[in-house]
Amino acid sequence: MTVGERFRIWSRRWRLDHLTTHLTLGFFALVTVTPYLWLLSTSLKLRTEVFTPTPKWIPWPINFGNYAEVFDRAPFGIFLVNTVLVVSGILAAQLLTITLAAYVFARRKFRGVDLLFLLFLIQMMIPIHATFLPNFLTLRNLDLLNTRVAMMLPFFASGYGTFLLRQAFKQIPRDLEDAAVIDGCSGLRFLWHVLIPLAKPTLVAFGLISLVSHWNDYLWPLIVTDTPDVRTLTIGLGMFVQQESGADWTLLMAATAFVTAPLLVIFLVFQRKFIESFMFSGLKGSR
Amino acid sequence: MNSMNSSLLSDSTAVAAPPRLSATGQAVAVTWRSRFRGGGVYLYLLPSLAFLALFTYYPMGFSAYLSLFRWNVLNPERIFVGLENYLSLWREPLFWLVLRNNLFYALGTIPTTMALALFLAVLVNKNLGRVRSVYRVALFYPTMVPMVAAAMLWVWIFNPGIGLFNYYTSFLGVPRVEWLYDRHWALPAIIIMSIWKNFGYFMLIYLAALQGVPADLYEAASIEGAGAWRRFWGITFPLLTPASLFVFVVAIISSFQVFDQVFVMTQGGPADQTNVLTFYIYQNAFRFWDIGMGATLTTIFICLLLVLILVVFRYVGRRVYYEAD
Repeated sequence: MTVGERFRIWSRRWRLDHLTTHLTLGFFALVTVTPYLWLLSTSLKLRTEVFTPTPKWIPWPINFGNYAEVFDRAPFGIFLVNTVLVVSGILAAQLLTITLAAYVFARRKFRGVDLLFLLFLIQMMIPIHATFLPNFLTLRNLDLLNTRVAMMLPFFASGYGTFLLRQAFKQIPRDLEDAAVIDGCSGLRFLWHVLIPLAKPTLVAFGLISLVSHWNDYLWPLIVTDTPDVRTLTIGLGMFVQQESGADWTLLMAATAFVTAPLLVIFLVFQRKFIESFMFSGLKGSR
Repeated sequence: MNSMNSSLLSDSTAVAAPPRLSATGQAVAVTWRSRFRGGGVYLYLLPSLAFLALFTYYPMGFSAYLSLFRWNVLNPERIFVGLENYLSLWREPLFWLVLRNNLFYALGTIPTTMALALFLAVLVNKNLGRVRSVYRVALFYPTMVPMVAAAMLWVWIFNPGIGLFNYYTSFLGVPRVEWLYDRHWALPAIIIMSIWKNFGYFMLIYLAALQGVPADLYEAASIEGAGAWRRFWGITFPLLTPASLFVFVVAIISSFQVFDQVFVMTQGGPADQTNVLTFYIYQNAFRFWDIGMGATLTTIFICLLLVLILVVFRYVGRRVYYEAD
């Protein structure tokens, strides 16, 4: 028996490849999680405990006072409500526009279909980051600056959502529609009673992706808002940072933790659904 | 109301599809009524198209138009100046520095993120039992953190005196760096945090693609005596090409969108070493109130994206988008 063969048998017995995989993944997982743990740790410390020559990981005594103080200094409760309103407003409008458009693109043949679909696809690649200045001027002309509606409007149409949903509708057999038409169920009623229930997984996936991305929006709300009563969590955090001018890390980390918490908690509870949805988003685009 | 509806709808009955045949070969009865009802394609598209037109297509034309004017704090009345704005940008060193920074950011983030995402996806895809979901959550969660919050967190981590980053990298023999305050290290710092934030999402896309790779291919290769390395380059990597193209396109487009990190971490500094296109537009428009220059930059940005879109549709698009049809 050669040394190589012996090594192979030995490594199989001890499942060496398994061990290396776990060690490697464990290392990367730890490195990825470390920043967030450090955030939580800092947010629970006393102001004076931050300045240690070696990182002190366990805050003792645990100090929840930072969170209370954050709420005293800025209306984070209002920010949270605004975020929920904006995000759900965008999603509701998107579900309406993409369902109608995707239905037509999946099921109808008409003049100019390719060109129109191209207009939807191109929108996926022209982000608000490129068009925020002219859009700001448009909203100023519409006299909608500093409103929650202003934060939602540019996202009401979604090329990406239309694309995802069209793919889902296409997979639903045509015979089903023929049968439905014979039964007198066509157009909007067919869409509502047959297509939408069958495409639910896609709608859920798109919904979660839309939710996460607009929860995290920053640039656009930054530009169109002026006063705390309409601001969202992300903008509130940005303002808080400037207001506190970066001196008090325990307070800043408490605010940051609060801003990240709602989405992270929902994610941890429904992690399977979230991960499936985000995986699915790539699957549809990449195959 | 009714008459308006039918007049709008009648337009599309002209192009409605001819009666289809059902599976059994019988013609499906299409009455005029059902034609009306099923026909109004443009009505279905109207809500989407209205918003697309107002917030995506009109802005493109509008900014191109505005870019031909001098319109700033000193000149509140628009003055037509032709291509003057473009010429002055051409002569502006900061403009080129900004483009260089964008390129540097793209080169710094895209290859690393893609390699890391692919590597970890291959590992997570192995038969790991129940801990697999722990790894997935731990590697993916940064996607759920708003970029502003992540940026804030990393300002703290990159703190020169008492930050975690300097502390732990010192064990690896890395010299102490001022990171966000150092003109050479500020952009790399932003790149490091962006990789941390983004690789998890791309890992999931690769993971989805990996699950579509048939297992018997690997068995056949193993029987032929191909090791793990050969199996990866011979089977996995080529089969993941569509996923890689998708990731690549998404990564390029999002690399142009970098703003939040810059805004929170450096405000473009020190000495404009982290100033990027989106932030530069923001500065011109909302700090200096130079709308003409902002519109010129916006137009340049959109042209860059349009070129990119052309390349994508020409060389990549059919594969990435239409294979599912």
